[in-house]
Amino acid sequence: MVLELQKPRPIWQIMFSTHHTDVGLLYLIMSLGFLFLGGALALAIRAELFLPGSQIIGDAMTFNRMFTVHGTTLIFLFIIPFASAVGNYFVPIMVRYKDMAYPKLNAIAFWLIPPAGALIWLGFADFTWYATPPYSIISAPGPAADMWIFGLKILGISSILGSINFVVTIMRCKHPDMSLGQVPLLAWSFLTSSLIILVAMPTFAAALLMLLTDRLGVSGFFNPAMGGDPIAYAHLFWFTFHPEVYVLVIPAIGMMYEIIPRFSRKPIHSYQSGITAFVLLSIVGFSSWAHHMYATGMSFTEKTVFMVGTLAAVPASALHVFNFVATMWNSRIRFSTPMMWAIGGIALFFSAGAGGVANAAMPLDFTTHDTYWVVGHFHLFVMGTIAFGSIGYLYYMYPYVTGRMYNETMGKVHFVMSFIGTVMVFFTQHVLGLYGMPRRIYDYPPIPEWITMNQIASIGAMIIGVSMAIFLANMIYSAGKGKPANIEDPFGVGGRYYYPFEAKNPHH
Amino acid sequence: MKGVIGLLAVLAVLVVIPVAEYAFAAGDEPGEYLDRRVVIWNLFFRMMTIAFVVGAVVSGTIIWQVWRFRESHPKAKPTPYEGTDW
Repeated sequence: MVLELQKPRPIWQIMFSTHHTDVGLLYLIMSLGFLFLGGALALAIRAELFLPGSQIIGDAMTFNRMFTVHGTTLIFLFIIPFASAVGNYFVPIMVRYKDMAYPKLNAIAFWLIPPAGALIWLGFADFTWYATPPYSIISAPGPAADMWIFGLKILGISSILGSINFVVTIMRCKHPDMSLGQVPLLAWSFLTSSLIILVAMPTFAAALLMLLTDRLGVSGFFNPAMGGDPIAYAHLFWFTFHPEVYVLVIPAIGMMYEIIPRFSRKPIHSYQSGITAFVLLSIVGFSSWAHHMYATGMSFTEKTVFMVGTLAAVPASALHVFNFVATMWNSRIRFSTPMMWAIGGIALFFSAGAGGVANAAMPLDFTTHDTYWVVGHFHLFVMGTIAFGSIGYLYYMYPYVTGRMYNETMGKVHFVMSFIGTVMVFFTQHVLGLYGMPRRIYDYPPIPEWITMNQIASIGAMIIGVSMAIFLANMIYSAGKGKPANIEDPFGVGGRYYYPFEAKNPHH
Repeated sequence: MKGVIGLLAVLAVLVVIPVAEYAFAAGDEPGEYLDRRVVIWNLFFRMMTIAFVVGAVVSGTIIWQVWRFRESHPKAKPTPYEGTDW
């Protein structure tokens, strides 16, 4: 058990440590910092779109920079590092090993992220998180664009190092008495998502290099004026970043697999189906990348193949949902804050998945392509499912990390406001897309329906913003002044809280 | 059990084959495009009908069970695992 804040140590001891919980703590604090930075940009974007015309952001270029850095930050600097925080904390304990397999490599993987974050934030590029070519190679202003490319390159290296560490820790360092079939589902989620990263990431690494050399003018891979093809970049990008969706969502589902049985007071209904679904998702994640590109002139047959490939993710996702439902059946559920977040996450996961099914079908895809429908769909996944699972787990691990309890009422208020806000923002954006509002626009015509729905979405975003302020206050205040947790059973649900107290790994 | 799974697998294949046939038998000649759009919209509406029905059932089940199996429900009873070190 690591009671980081009950036994304060000099900050430099944590910063230069290679111990897995210290590195996990660093990941945790940094990812939450970027959550608030990226969230602040989201609030500014929503405030700008509250009404047609220029509101608070001076010009379209600044608006473009803001949503580019917003997306890049929350995906690469919040969600992935947060998952790494959880993995660093718990994977070695779950597989009963003293640390990650390569502790120094682990620390290096973390310390690559702050300079990458600095490059992205100090550059403040404007070409979307997709780095849209040919704009990104011909006229996107430097050095912002180059700094973004280098930042992403560094983040890719960090992800690969982290993934190697997780795979080796789970496969090779688990206790000899423990078979792979006994490893907890959260650790399984890290194993499968790490394998996806190892397969997918090199493609984007190559694409980034090509993008950079195109910008330097020494190649023309994606430059039509030099015989290149921007669509080739789309294939390379989405080959990495559609599977990346599963890299983001699988650990969040793994976190729900820890929370739901605990607060249902019974074991997970089917451990085996959880593993099967993780493995299936990690495979079918690679069969759907081109569904982002139906509008690029692919043949009907190609589109059909990718439509079917996308729909292949449905059975695996359904396995998770049914597993959660079956676990809660005939249970005695305590609705503590982590459980509320987990159940909210399941409900929104299902809604986001249903939107994905519609999206994957070619006819609707053409209608909704590059509209706010798409924005609503993927935000419902990243906020409604991934962030909900992650924040729920943060509340769950809070006593473990700090030795203190957070304020339960504030946690529940945080959930209720976030849930309402999320529905207001992202369900409304689906409808806005069906009304034809394009994404990534700074201004829009004063169509009454568009104005009303943008206002609903912006108010929802403000509600989320307020809830996040409550969350921040709760986390900071409770870390110092919260009630000391009964570390054996902090949530009063009986059984063991978590991995036994004795399982803590000594610092080194 | 294996027999039931086998039967379901056969039924699933029988359902998938005609659907797949539409896609792969279609040529690229002009004039066929409109027909294919009709076919795919038709497929889409059928899929959405199924998706909404399944969605309503699953969402309804989740809402009902969080109400019914909450610990404050009058009929709530301890699970067999409570009090053990599971």
